[in-house]
Amino acid sequence: MSDWYVWGAIAGIVLATILTRASLLVVGLHARLPPAIEAALRYAPACALTAVIVPDLLYQGGELRLAFDNYRLLAGLAGIAIFAAFRNTMGTIVGGMIIFWLLALS
Amino acid sequence: MLGPAPGVFAWGLVTGIAMVKSGLSVPHALGLSLVAYAGSAQLAALPLILAGAPLWLITVTALVVNLRFVVYSALLRDYFRGLGLWRRIGLGYLIGDITLVQFLNRMKRQDPPMHHSVAYYLGSAACNWLAWQSSSILGILTAGSIPQRWGLELAGTLALIALVVPLCAQLPALAGVVVAGVVAILAHDLPLKLGMLAGVVAGISVAMWVESRRSARMPGAGAAP
Repeated sequence: MSDWYVWGAIAGIVLATILTRASLLVVGLHARLPPAIEAALRYAPACALTAVIVPDLLYQGGELRLAFDNYRLLAGLAGIAIFAAFRNTMGTIVGGMIIFWLLALS
Repeated sequence: MLGPAPGVFAWGLVTGIAMVKSGLSVPHALGLSLVAYAGSAQLAALPLILAGAPLWLITVTALVVNLRFVVYSALLRDYFRGLGLWRRIGLGYLIGDITLVQFLNRMKRQDPPMHHSVAYYLGSAACNWLAWQSSSILGILTAGSIPQRWGLELAGTLALIALVVPLCAQLPALAGVVVAGVVAILAHDLPLKLGMLAGVVAGISVAMWVESRRSARMPGAGAAP
């Protein structure tokens, strides 16, 4: 992970941020989006975040760890349950971390 | 306007800590936070950066995660239409989830009537920006003194989970998310981290397919906003 590579990645993220945030304020001030595009826009963020989160929880050191001793996975599942029950972001983060620490300590 | 600030502060703190704990250097993390100002895209890009994924894929991932901003910018068009190009780009850059909701609520309420829509928007955006940057910088600078074995980079992933779960209330999104996760695992060994992209494409396709089946069965259901 060289220095220029990370700066390049940062530049890419900045570009992506400006392109999406300013998008329809710059082009298509009066355009209407086709329904199919609108549907894809609606579902894309959740799908993209999931495609990042799931491998992040399931892989450790490049290996698939679908097991009960994968504490990150268990803490992530607990986080899903906590948010589903309480609709609280901080509770999800703190609760998930506490579960992770309890498992790692035991 | 300051109501959501504590929540934003906590999110920024977690993101700052998670960036450094995952392996970014302090200057990189500061640069990313100050210039990109995009919490979920920053966290989503982290595993890809650490795995050495190609730069175009990191950019595409950030684009897809940020696609909700395209919808936001569409909602703001009516209010900012008369302004010059650079002001519109600047105001667009400051779009955030909280600012959008605060702004649209205030504009709809019009009680008392609000004639300074740009000023109101900038006030909300400034509160958000300050809460985010101050907490993020605090997290980046203190992360070094937190032991690695505490596993605090997991806090960033948990923050993303709290973002995704509320998006899955409807069946199409839930189906799409499940497929995106499964395909991302099945295709994990593709080169260049392309498995992630495969998961996104499969997830969106399935979500749209489920939605079209539902609206075909229940006329009018698909037309809901």
